[in-house]
Amino acid sequence: MSKRSLPTSATGGEIRDLRQPGYYPRYSTLGQKKAWDETTRHVVTGRVGDTPPVRFFSREEAEVLQAIIDHVLPQDDRSEERTIPILPVIDERLFKNELNGFRYEDMPPDRDAYRLAIKAIDVMARERFDASFPALTVHRQELILKSLHDGEPDPAHPIWKTMPVHRFWALLMEDCVTAYYAHPWAWDEIGFGGPAYPRGYMRLENGLPEPWETEEERYEWNAPVDSLSEIEPEGAPPEHGSLHGHGGTH
Amino acid sequence: MALLSGKNGAHRLGPMQTLPGPMKTWPENEPVDYCVVGVGSAGGVLLQRLARAGFRVVGLEAGPFWDTEKDWVSDEKGSYELYWNDLRITGGTNPLALGENNSGKGVGGGSVHWAAFTPRFHPSDFRIYTEDGVGVDWPMSYWDLKPWYELLEREIPVAGPAWFPWGDPHGHPYGPHPLGGVGDVLVRGCSKLGIRTVAGGPVAILSASHGDRPHCIYRGFCLQGCKVGAKASTLITHVPDAIVHGAEIRAHAMAARINLRNDGRVDGVVYFDCDGKEHFQRARAVIVSGYAIETPRLLFNSACPGHSHGLANSSGTLGKYLMAQAGNVVAGRFEDLIRLYKAPPAHALSEEFYETDPQRGFARGFAIQTVGPLPIAFAKQMVAAMGAWGWGMRRVMMDYNHWATLGVLGEILPWEDNRVELADEKDRHGLPVAKVTFNLHDNDKKLIEFGKNKVMEVMWAAGAQQVVQESRFAHLVGASRMGKDPSTSVVDKFGRTHDIPNLFVCDGSIFPTQGSANPGLTIQALAARTADYLIGQGDPIFFSSRRDQHEPQIRYDLSPPFTRFKGNPRIA
Repeated sequence: MSKRSLPTSATGGEIRDLRQPGYYPRYSTLGQKKAWDETTRHVVTGRVGDTPPVRFFSREEAEVLQAIIDHVLPQDDRSEERTIPILPVIDERLFKNELNGFRYEDMPPDRDAYRLAIKAIDVMARERFDASFPALTVHRQELILKSLHDGEPDPAHPIWKTMPVHRFWALLMEDCVTAYYAHPWAWDEIGFGGPAYPRGYMRLENGLPEPWETEEERYEWNAPVDSLSEIEPEGAPPEHGSLHGHGGTH
Repeated sequence: MALLSGKNGAHRLGPMQTLPGPMKTWPENEPVDYCVVGVGSAGGVLLQRLARAGFRVVGLEAGPFWDTEKDWVSDEKGSYELYWNDLRITGGTNPLALGENNSGKGVGGGSVHWAAFTPRFHPSDFRIYTEDGVGVDWPMSYWDLKPWYELLEREIPVAGPAWFPWGDPHGHPYGPHPLGGVGDVLVRGCSKLGIRTVAGGPVAILSASHGDRPHCIYRGFCLQGCKVGAKASTLITHVPDAIVHGAEIRAHAMAARINLRNDGRVDGVVYFDCDGKEHFQRARAVIVSGYAIETPRLLFNSACPGHSHGLANSSGTLGKYLMAQAGNVVAGRFEDLIRLYKAPPAHALSEEFYETDPQRGFARGFAIQTVGPLPIAFAKQMVAAMGAWGWGMRRVMMDYNHWATLGVLGEILPWEDNRVELADEKDRHGLPVAKVTFNLHDNDKKLIEFGKNKVMEVMWAAGAQQVVQESRFAHLVGASRMGKDPSTSVVDKFGRTHDIPNLFVCDGSIFPTQGSANPGLTIQALAARTADYLIGQGDPIFFSSRRDQHEPQIRYDLSPPFTRFKGNPRIA
């Protein structure tokens, strides 16, 4: 984490250095790995143990992108050793040039899209706040990111004339959530059952937990005071046809 | 031929079944009877029927020959390899997401990652021009296809209610599955509004064991490839029996072009193997089963003198009339826990809004179905549906277990401007990739608006405290459509191209329209019917240009093992 911006619990006090955020405090999917099939165990434990090296992005690009990722998918509540790697996963995809099966006709290839956007965001930071993006305060970083999220880059930058900002935003978000929610620590956070072969499930209705799952224990918390990324009631973006990679449903 | 079952290192197809071996190999320079390009939903069924009937058949598959134990995982991100991830260009006013959304690669094709909903088309789907003045009629009727629907429902087999009230009412060979949390939401919401529902199917997922396939364990990873072997894919339902009967499946074989002889007939397929080496498989007839994008792409890439706009394209309709279904996902947050990851994503539906209702101001309709996105897919939906990012994303995902998701499955009409063409970009073999263009038209937009609002109403009625929706599209069909008139279609009702008497297309691309039913079962039923037609025609089809349009005799004797003694119940 390049900068800390901490959520607070409703009872007061910062939420930080958690081994496991979310409402399932004693739940561990990895604790069930003996019940998984061998191939799945290999793939999932590999994801936890081996963080790929950064090979695609330059050091400067990686620094800016990390600062971006720290806000589009913040982990300031997590302890350092339980932070889920995101940038290395995106870097690996681009290094291997793994595609998702298509490219929008109005978008450059994914590799170029990232490089162009990183450069543009840093230029926007210098223009608006006179400093490089990673050097800005959390609030100023989020002001710039929020303008991209809203589809109205502030300040304007010529790159968004040639690359639709909503498509880049979707690409970035989808890569980030793919890295984060593929990680078993994120499954523990949200109470997802994780791999389930060969054992399967027996309690299908009423949200009942399996014997190895745990009950939810909710608590109230607030996003950091300097953050702009809470969901707004009118937060749904305008429709642009299907966004990037909408698989996984039907 | 001996089976390898029980031996260590055997190629596994689910926990109980092994790939029969050794597989027959046909020499390339001697013509086989049929070379089938693409071993997916249609290709698998075709190869199995034709092989059982004694034809020499080779299937070329661009992707791998899956070993379900070694290659598949109970994991979302780890299932990346199941999809057609190679470059395609997508555009138009409503560009389609491709890749994992609708495109499989590897033996079994899309049936490896389908949710396995298996509703039949309604009788009205085959004649929407006559009934509603939109789209086009099929060159065949529902009743022509019905015997093969029933056959495939027994072969796969399909689990579901004994009484399915819509379209041509029918029952299903295997009993329905128990209800999951999302299905409960669908039934609850619809019931409050007086909308009829069915639950526990129809799905091509076993509710009781079937031969060497166990029944479902309700782990929710249907779309990631069913390691259990409970969900049907042609990889486990038809391909093993095809191999037992002498079919050869060549994996990692990417078809480059179909070769046309001077006499106007094709004589084989040029393809690249996994090392990029070029081969030529000679065949007396070629069947293209590459689905709605790769099928037209291959025919375009096979252009040659006299067919400069692609093979079988004298009508100029090749690549046109591509269709996807409206697939809006409506998500509702409930006070109580749902845990939507349990049970098959596909397990309850309503077709109450399937048919045209003049009151609604648009033609045709939609279905309401359960969907079950796993965490990554759900997070992506929250990006689109709520603009979630940052702490908002973390917060909504912490409530993952409180959400239920229902899908609209809406009929989008066939339009000429929705199409597949060749792009300037090339793949690693130097073959031009496909460019897909998709635009919604007035009727489509009205239908989607109505369908989306209706499903949101169902979600509220089920007791959700918050309801959001994401616009998206599901499935791909059309782009090599069948028809009676050679000037407005690519193939006849048996998939035989109008232009070239020994070149066939058999897959979802031949659909003239698509209804609001998931296309998988219809693709497989059409494939079995085409196979029975070809078998009935015998050898003359390899050299004669005579076009017999009589309905074929159904071959009940050619089903895979364990099909006998299954019935199609009907409770009237």
